[in-house]
Amino acid sequence: MFELTAYDGRRRVRGSVYLSIGLSLLAAMVIWVYPSFEAEIDLEGLLAAYPEPILQVMGVQTMTSLAGFLSFELYTFGWIIMLGLYLAYSTAGTIADDVDRGRMDVLLSMPISRRRLVAERFGAMAVPIVGANLLPPLVVYVGAELIDHPIAAADVLAVHLLSIPYLFACAGIGLFASVIVDRAAIAQRVALGVTFALFLSESLLSGTDAEAVGAIAPMRYYDPNAVLLEGSYDLIGAGILVAMTVTLLVASQAWFRRRDV
Amino acid sequence: MAAEGAGMAAIKLEGLTKDYGEVLANDDVTFSVEEGEVFGYLGPNGAGKTTTIRTLLGLLSPTAGTARLLGNDVTDEAQLLAAKRRLGYLPDDPGFDETATGRAVLDLHASLKGDERSAELLELFDPPLDREIREYSRGNVQKLGLVTTFMHDPDLVILDEPTSGLDPLLQQRFNEFVRAERERGLTVFFSSHILSEVRKLCDRVGIIRDGRLVTVEPVESLLDRSGKFVRLHAAESIPVDALEIDGVHGIESDTGPSDGTEYAFTFTGDVNDLLAALQEYRLHDLSIEEAPLDEVFMRFYDDTDGSERNGADLTVGPGAASGGEDDV
Repeated sequence: MFELTAYDGRRRVRGSVYLSIGLSLLAAMVIWVYPSFEAEIDLEGLLAAYPEPILQVMGVQTMTSLAGFLSFELYTFGWIIMLGLYLAYSTAGTIADDVDRGRMDVLLSMPISRRRLVAERFGAMAVPIVGANLLPPLVVYVGAELIDHPIAAADVLAVHLLSIPYLFACAGIGLFASVIVDRAAIAQRVALGVTFALFLSESLLSGTDAEAVGAIAPMRYYDPNAVLLEGSYDLIGAGILVAMTVTLLVASQAWFRRRDV
Repeated sequence: MAAEGAGMAAIKLEGLTKDYGEVLANDDVTFSVEEGEVFGYLGPNGAGKTTTIRTLLGLLSPTAGTARLLGNDVTDEAQLLAAKRRLGYLPDDPGFDETATGRAVLDLHASLKGDERSAELLELFDPPLDREIREYSRGNVQKLGLVTTFMHDPDLVILDEPTSGLDPLLQQRFNEFVRAERERGLTVFFSSHILSEVRKLCDRVGIIRDGRLVTVEPVESLLDRSGKFVRLHAAESIPVDALEIDGVHGIESDTGPSDGTEYAFTFTGDVNDLLAALQEYRLHDLSIEEAPLDEVFMRFYDDTDGSERNGADLTVGPGAASGGEDDV
């Protein structure tokens, strides 16, 4: 068991280290600019100057605290949008690319069931998902201390831990695209499009009559603002994200089991 | 040629059909491969060989019919898995992770299906293990593929055009290897579009064309019937009736710019008769070669002159009768 996950996981380690470093740099930059930002700019005024839809899309609630600032500059932008899209994209390349490049024949000639193959390949996505969350929390916590705007360690930890089921759900969207589309490039575009559309549907439609549409968006169940500003951890949301991930995985397995490759 | 259907078949196809809508890639293909046999699956490119193989491996689901691998129904997942534990497969153009090294690929294969003999195989086929696959030549990919196909010491191997990409020396080594494995009891099913390759290794041959199995027979009888390609360059022209010997087909002559006349024809008769008939003529040159596969198809299996192919040609040759035991 897990031979393929171990193999894939090892091959993803290096990229995940780079990803973690890149995100840490982003985190450090956001924290570094905050003091001058706070001192020289009328943040309330700036906030009022933005059109409402932009604030809504970016999840901006307040800029007058580091937590609020990080929440949209780093977590909404870096985690919800960038990492979410990256994982959907990257996972969409797994199965479809194997089929596309003729590697699937070799893999499936070995004694491994199609269901197990899909699950193991998906499992290896834990490496970038967890890897991306290893270094940045340290940088955020220490950085906040250094500029004298401390954030509770538990909140920093929670905002990263709760992002893990969110990122798995995004990867699940990619996985499903990967089994239904033959060509990797198309699967990846489909995954990007769907994930971004879900993000928009959740952020733009919230507060409108069509708010219910956003219920299928993973973005609804991960809220960095709530964690960092109010210290409230949405464990039910995390549970829903896990359920979404499992549903997408099982659906992908069922589909891949039946199709010709 | 043991009796069939006693559960001894390593591969058994019955009415296998794969319909893609616009293409009928396999049409009612039925044959069996016995345990311990080397079976060649022969046909021109695009005839449906790979479709049969991929259906056998459970990669494609048949539109109709059944396929069994080592007694296991390939449409049943658990049975297919059991069969794959004893199976080695080398695809037409084996795909490995481009950015992995050969060694990493071998390690993955070893972890998933076991490794009984990769050390020995690496001495024989020797791919550059420490390089990444993307730097591999086609031949090196094929060598790595051969190692991964045989490393777990399978009972049955399925090889799709195994010698493509191998240089002549390695082809030779591959042939010797397959013969030795056959002595050990391995069953081999391999596809090819090259008759000479098949004749060196196979016990029996199945021929597929346009998705339909044309014949299954022992390789000798096929060679007897496929005949030779004769080219002769006579000093003076030879009367046509002098060349009307049993087994001469499709004679063409050419009085070219050089002196004398050139003749080319396919010959399925006794070479001695031919030589006797030519004895009284002065020749500049004479070559007798194995007929190219395309020629064999043209002469025996072309549907357009189906009436002819059912004539005398098909029954010519001493081995022809023994080829009839498999349903075609």
